[in-house]
Amino acid sequence: MPESKETRERILRIAEIIIEELKLEEITPESFDPDMDLVNELGVDSMDLATVALVLQDEHGVFIDEDDYPKLKTVRLIAEYLQSRLQGRKGKDA
Amino acid sequence: MPDDREGRGDGAGTPEGADCRRWKFSELLAEPAVKARWEKVRRYFFLRESTYDICNRCNLHCDGCYYYKGEKQLARENGDAGAWRTLMRAEKERGITYVVLAGAEPSLVPVLLEVCFVEMPLGCIATNGVRRIDPAVGYKIHISVWGNDVTSLRVRKAGDLLRRQIENYRDDPRAVFVYTFTRENIDEAAGVVEVLTAADCRVTFNMFSSPVGYTGPLRHDGASLIHTREMMGEMMARNPGRVIFSPYNAVAHTHAKGLHDLYRCPYPRMNPSTDIGLGRSFRQFRTDLTWDRDAACCVPDTDCGDCRHYAAGSAVVTARLYRHVTDPWTFRSWLDYVDTYLAVWVMGYEKGENLCAELVSPPGCEEIRTI
Repeated sequence: MPESKETRERILRIAEIIIEELKLEEITPESFDPDMDLVNELGVDSMDLATVALVLQDEHGVFIDEDDYPKLKTVRLIAEYLQSRLQGRKGKDA
Repeated sequence: MPDDREGRGDGAGTPEGADCRRWKFSELLAEPAVKARWEKVRRYFFLRESTYDICNRCNLHCDGCYYYKGEKQLARENGDAGAWRTLMRAEKERGITYVVLAGAEPSLVPVLLEVCFVEMPLGCIATNGVRRIDPAVGYKIHISVWGNDVTSLRVRKAGDLLRRQIENYRDDPRAVFVYTFTRENIDEAAGVVEVLTAADCRVTFNMFSSPVGYTGPLRHDGASLIHTREMMGEMMARNPGRVIFSPYNAVAHTHAKGLHDLYRCPYPRMNPSTDIGLGRSFRQFRTDLTWDRDAACCVPDTDCGDCRHYAAGSAVVTARLYRHVTDPWTFRSWLDYVDTYLAVWVMGYEKGENLCAELVSPPGCEEIRTI
């Protein structure tokens, strides 16, 4: 299924945060492979992921449990995780 | 924007006047001094440690020594410099950036220390300080101190030990003297720290953490933990700049609960996950260059329920950034802890002034008794 504009924008924003927080060079949100394994291919560790998670929490107002960090292996998986948390919140609000 | 994050709710252990609001990370970083400290410490998030028993001999024989417990002491000693060089290169290859060379006594194998330093320039050596390690080996050097000379003679069977340690490491920028509080040597700390600081030596604190099965007189109890915390506070107040510690270090390491109960230890021995962090990367190599995931932690054969070891805390507390972003005091305390850890473990890193003078309780814990 083609990804929606909203998903694409979220993926780009997550990539942007990772680039900024991890001070990555020679990569842009557009060139960031959303399916790249952040741990195995990019060398992201738990402290990096915690930092990114905290920034995402701030932006989206959702809780990211530290036990869920291992699930956040790629930018796309992070985007899907956020989407599910936001939907869960809407469900609660409804 | 509405926020579904849980507030801490009970306000436990926060300074008087603290509210229970839900703080955003960006709000916690709004204070310039806090932001500056965050930026200072986060530069070192690249550190990935593993530990290595580099020698199975020792020139002291201390009561309660963790090294001579369990199976690791039986490993054959591999003194081949080429084998260690190959190991260090392989470690670098799998992403390790920081080595801790320990047990039994690393100073007895000077050639291996040089080999490791050439291959892996960041690290630390845990030594008893009886023999001076060549200054060309630019690792941090942690010199273990277990009390005054009378106590050292009794517990470590070593006479005049403090004098010898100071002679070897006075004015050495690598050196940090690590005073281990046992149940029996708490009051001695004042005199020992005075001698050390008078000689311009830097001091940090460790807590005796019982090896598995140890029930001897060094093991802490509730009263000794409280007394130790008070003594740590006194030493910090008396010797600013020379004592590398923070109020939150004192809280975390003298709490009635051990580090695992407080923070959930991420070392492989207590952490089955191999997805990310220490559970994935940490190895504890024995002197024969083998390692065993089930036994791997920074101080193997320690009773995990009694573990308050300074080396353990450096990873256990630091790794729990997420839990400390609840309010400004808790976050500042965490920053102080990380700042302390880096100053103790990384060459060239200088500790800043503590950002939080209060005794803040670990996340999720009851309010602690204020000194």
